[in-house]
Amino acid sequence: MPEVFIDGKRYEYEGQPMLLQFILDQGLEVPFFCYHPSMSIPANCRQCMVKVGTPVKDRETGEFELDENGDRKIRWFPKPQTSCSTPLQDGMVVHTQETSEEIARAQKDNLEFILINHPLDCPICDQAGECPLQIQTYKYGPEGSRFEVKKVHKPKHVDLGPRVTLDAERCINCTRCVRFTEEISETNQLTIVDRGDSNYPTTAPGETFDDPYSMNTVDICPVGALTSTDFRFKARVWEMNQTPSIDITNGKGCNIDLWTRDNEVLRITPRQNEDVNDYWMPDAGRDAYKLFNENRVDRPSITLDENNQSNTSWNNAIETFAEVIEANDPSDITIVGSPHASVEENYVFNKFFNLLGVSNAKFTPHVIPGSGDGFLITDDQAPNTNGCRVINLDETDDGAIQSVVSDAKVVIILSDDLIGRDVLTSSDLESPYTISLATNISDTTKASDLVIPITCVAEHAASYVNVDGRIQRSYPAKETKYTNRRLNLEMSEGRLDRFGTNFDNWVSEENKVDCLPLWEFLNKLADRLGLEFEYNHSREIFTELSNSLDVLSNVSYDRMDEEKGVQLPIKQKEVKA
Amino acid sequence: MAELSFTQEELDEIERLKDKFPTAKAATLRVLWLAQNKYGHVKDEVQNLVAEALDVPKAHVHGVARFYTQYYKEEKGKFVLDVCTCLSCQLCGGYDILHHLEDELGIQAGETTDDGMFTVNEVECLGACGYAPMLQVTNGVYVNNLTKEKVDTLLENLKNGNMPEFESKAMPELEKRNQAASE
Ligand code: SF4
Ligand code: FES
Ligand code: FES
Repeated sequence: MPEVFIDGKRYEYEGQPMLLQFILDQGLEVPFFCYHPSMSIPANCRQCMVKVGTPVKDRETGEFELDENGDRKIRWFPKPQTSCSTPLQDGMVVHTQETSEEIARAQKDNLEFILINHPLDCPICDQAGECPLQIQTYKYGPEGSRFEVKKVHKPKHVDLGPRVTLDAERCINCTRCVRFTEEISETNQLTIVDRGDSNYPTTAPGETFDDPYSMNTVDICPVGALTSTDFRFKARVWEMNQTPSIDITNGKGCNIDLWTRDNEVLRITPRQNEDVNDYWMPDAGRDAYKLFNENRVDRPSITLDENNQSNTSWNNAIETFAEVIEANDPSDITIVGSPHASVEENYVFNKFFNLLGVSNAKFTPHVIPGSGDGFLITDDQAPNTNGCRVINLDETDDGAIQSVVSDAKVVIILSDDLIGRDVLTSSDLESPYTISLATNISDTTKASDLVIPITCVAEHAASYVNVDGRIQRSYPAKETKYTNRRLNLEMSEGRLDRFGTNFDNWVSEENKVDCLPLWEFLNKLADRLGLEFEYNHSREIFTELSNSLDVLSNVSYDRMDEEKGVQLPIKQKEVKA
Repeated sequence: MAELSFTQEELDEIERLKDKFPTAKAATLRVLWLAQNKYGHVKDEVQNLVAEALDVPKAHVHGVARFYTQYYKEEKGKFVLDVCTCLSCQLCGGYDILHHLEDELGIQAGETTDDGMFTVNEVECLGACGYAPMLQVTNGVYVNNLTKEKVDTLLENLKNGNMPEFESKAMPELEKRNQAASE
């Protein structure tokens, strides 16, 4: 196998890796800015310099030439090389900043150069705390600068598009953002204009940066030049908790992180998963943070007289729910599951009412044909259509839902805005007694007689099966009125080192929504109805599922955690419009 | 500005230029040049026209146009006089030439005369330091070893539509060296 010597240590390699990526793969480090593993390599930041040489071979014999100590003679490249663009060669010898004074010096000088015109506004810059330039400068940079002349001033707070704001002064011209629009989102909306110390990225005249993936450039910008217009100045990264989760705005199930502070989700960023979304996610998915904070169903509510919904106590809500069930024949009750709710929720929802003799839950996929783009945005608007299929809910089209609903005396809807998405009209819900188990206020909850607030994806651990049949899970990222982060072991808690700020204690009550996980609410209802039904955790539900369903055997939360989701042996069905 | 367009002849020329390069993007420089010769500038609309003709992203053409100072991103005079005031020219009186031009034409560096005839720019080294001071006429001919009189004549000639000849100069040192080598 070919070999390479990095800082005196021997490594073997396969294929044709580039030096920088190989070094990073070994858990070693060389500072860099412009390189991104998913994009082309322009080698324009010049930060990843290393010293490289190849062994000298005798032309005739093909043997290595040796020096007087019996070591291989090395022919050094005349100048430092950018490791990102240097392919490995058999026998190559590499010195990074760890073993070469010259390289350490070159990297330091390059940083000094990059910083000539970069404003030193870390204290107010949004990138502070997660800025590669800040980190590399701290680790490898100079302590001062020889450039004491005035810095060049470029355009500031420019709205490149509806979601991205540019501060051109901070740009170090790595061209990652430009390459992103050329190679990944393929809208070609950005370019670098002007040159030397006055260049910066912008759009063509009269165009706006409205790429549906525009905010990915904010993530990959190695400085604070591109910032999220929405998130700017809202919080510091070190004040927030970061919890892995799943994008619930369409069927792809992009892997994401939820950034929370004081029980509010403040931003959403993609989490790398090469089987699903690589490093990227659509802008629409990032907007979902509002769903978790705003317009929540907070406390149960009940419609007493026509159009007059008012909050009520949990006890009263349970009592009312139970009375409605007791007063009606199971055959008069229709239950509607939801591709917007998790596997666990749909399962317990269906099981609970099955135990009461109600027939299987129906569900209707939420598909808008033509809205997908073949990349990360799908026609399927829901995160768990395949999850409903896996647990064998009754898949029907919109018309069928409408007819069963109009025949029923009681309709119970799980987390699905059937009116908002034009499956039903509010008049369809006028005659049956309608109960909604919901996370957000919607046209459907407004037309319901009883609304039970349940936890959303940001508040519970649960799994979702994406359009490609991959099951992935969420973790609770924010507390509700009744969860306790110190008792709920699924929850992440502040920074790992726990030297957080007060925010880590998440003190204010007002951001905690008064809602329950569906299974906990059903426990209480079961208690009242004398039904044998109890789950303490979604993990328990999932274990039951994986024991009873073939497709889910061998699948567990632990496996999903380890493998970032598990591909199930199911094929995507023809989507019904 | 009226609707811009290329004539069939120009479009054929663009096709020909495209064929010379492996990708359409690579022909951007040449086609921008063609457009500038036609319109005298490559303002935003012209850049977009070029992007359409080449079927390449607008942003790409914009980036190229803004990279090179030789492409005029605004309307200029019929003759653009780039006066070098970089070190060699400065020492040999580049600023005197510049100020003389400014006085003669009644404009400041960077401006265009009211009749649209001349634009005067102050530029960095154009690589003719050996014949300083010098200026360049509209991305083209160099006028070297300038004196005020030479400038006056130049203006007069240009007004009458006479472009100066390209002055070729041999380097005395080089000549000596060549001679030595041939002996
Ligand atoms: S804005 Fe950021 S990503 Fe784009 S070129 Fe500048 S530094 Fe790189
Ligand atoms: S990372 Fe290698 S030159 Fe930028
Ligand atoms: S300094 Fe004027 S041409 Fe070089």
